[in-house]
Amino acid sequence: MALFPLVCNFEGDFVLKLLPVDTEQTMAEVGQAAAVNAVGIHVADQPGKTIYARKEGADSPFPLDMKLSDSGLEPMDCVKFYFV
Amino acid sequence: MLERSDWYDLARDTNWTPKYVPEEELFPEDYAGSRGIPEHIWATYDEPYKVTYREYVGMQREKDSGAYSVKAALERMDMYTSADPGWIATLKEHYGAVSVVEYNAALQNARLLRFGRAGGMRNMATFGMLDEVRHGQIQLYFAHEYVAKDRQFDWAHRSMNTNNWVTLAARRFFDDLMMTRNVIDTSLAMNFSFETGFTNLQFIGLASDATHAGDFKFAKLIQSIQSDEARHAQIGTPTLKILIEQGKKADAQRMVDISFWRSSRLFAILTGIPMDYYLPLDKREGSFKEFMQEWIVTQFTRSLEDLGLEKPWYWDIFMRDLDEHHHGQQLGTWSWRPTLWWSPAAGVSPDERDWLEEKYPGWNDTFGKCWDVITENARTGRFEKTVPGTLPVICNVSQNPIVGTPGKTLQDRQLTYNGRKYHFGSEVDQWIFEQDPQRYARHQSLVDRFLSGSIEPANLEGVLAYMGLGVISDGGQDAHDFSWATAKTTKTVKAA
Repeated sequence: MALFPLVCNFEGDFVLKLLPVDTEQTMAEVGQAAAVNAVGIHVADQPGKTIYARKEGADSPFPLDMKLSDSGLEPMDCVKFYFV
Repeated sequence: MLERSDWYDLARDTNWTPKYVPEEELFPEDYAGSRGIPEHIWATYDEPYKVTYREYVGMQREKDSGAYSVKAALERMDMYTSADPGWIATLKEHYGAVSVVEYNAALQNARLLRFGRAGGMRNMATFGMLDEVRHGQIQLYFAHEYVAKDRQFDWAHRSMNTNNWVTLAARRFFDDLMMTRNVIDTSLAMNFSFETGFTNLQFIGLASDATHAGDFKFAKLIQSIQSDEARHAQIGTPTLKILIEQGKKADAQRMVDISFWRSSRLFAILTGIPMDYYLPLDKREGSFKEFMQEWIVTQFTRSLEDLGLEKPWYWDIFMRDLDEHHHGQQLGTWSWRPTLWWSPAAGVSPDERDWLEEKYPGWNDTFGKCWDVITENARTGRFEKTVPGTLPVICNVSQNPIVGTPGKTLQDRQLTYNGRKYHFGSEVDQWIFEQDPQRYARHQSLVDRFLSGSIEPANLEGVLAYMGLGVISDGGQDAHDFSWATAKTTKTVKAA
């Protein structure tokens, strides 16, 4: 377990936000943590949809059950979060 | 009695001939930035404003007595009590960001008058230095009368001695371009790019806004400063001419390109936000973009072309930026308002949104979507959701939050240098870093400081204390206490 800062780029937001998460969290949990700082704050909720994450610039999302520590992401990498 | 034209050039160019130290020690290259251009070439520097000390003192005495007598005459009108809170926000932001910096500008001019190779430059910089001392004094004095009414005005004196994030951005800008460059570079960066272009915008635009807002005291103050700027801003122009004639055009162009972009980012917050969001709708003369098009796009580019320089290489990016950057910074500053020394106006009532959409087509479908969420939270009393629980990510060059148009242009630009990861708000900011990485690499943004443990406790309370909020004064609240969230459009009322 270790604190792991990411840069959050949530689809529909206007600003990149600091996202402190934990290496043991799954990408689904990381997505939820990102939503806490964006959805209902600056981005409208989309009930019934799932939040996916992909490294900024990548084509495909991380599997939702993948641990952050297995994602290959480095601290302060930028992750794009979006509803599907 | 001799005419001035008969003795002016001789008096101005009077020099000592050094006997005890070599010239390179008297004018070290790190300070003078002479670039190997010999003294007889610098002697051709010809300042556009030829002023003597006697004339200068007379002019300045008139300006000061004008500004102070208007202040005295209007003291009883109590503009402060009747002014719109959006205008008060503009005053606080301006005084905190500008007043003390004027003293730094005096130091910059003092370096020009000591290390400038040309007599004309030293003469103009002498008056420039005195100008800046006056600007510091008068703005601190005018702000000080409001401290008893509202403690947030104390930031006029104190902001530059804190680690407030707006201060970090402004101080980093002025340190880079005004305090740590040689005479030639800083005369291009500050006197040419910053003052010829952008302070005109701040001081002419703001004077006009102040008049419309009924704040004639501030209008007079700003006008008296702007007339100084118009003179000493010209110090860089003859420098540019010499550099271009001596085959240093690329060198000069690079400095102008760096300083122009950095200035535009600073003024998007300093001027862009008040013009488009703080000033009451019925007092607005034009949009920030319209002012920029008149004062920068038209007039500044004409100055560049007259001198033989090109538009900066990123001109298309700059023009696109006029439609978006300050809107993002307004959303950011308002959202993180507890971190400000002023109480910002949201400026997004239905009528104001109509105006924004008219001036910036597409605003409702982009930035407006974020304001929709905020407005709904305010309307339903979920005020805790109107302040984010985390920090924005900061650009390692501009030191501003990295913003973009929602759903369109928001993205991170990263660069790893000597094992450290840097973030940039635009490809131009990244280009500036790459021009001279050593200059920028060691400075830590607010987020870098937060992650490195400099800010304790590592939460919002710790961040605010680190910035001086709650110590000097409380941080910002919504200027209109959210009345805009439930406001009706006046068009509907009129139609009914």
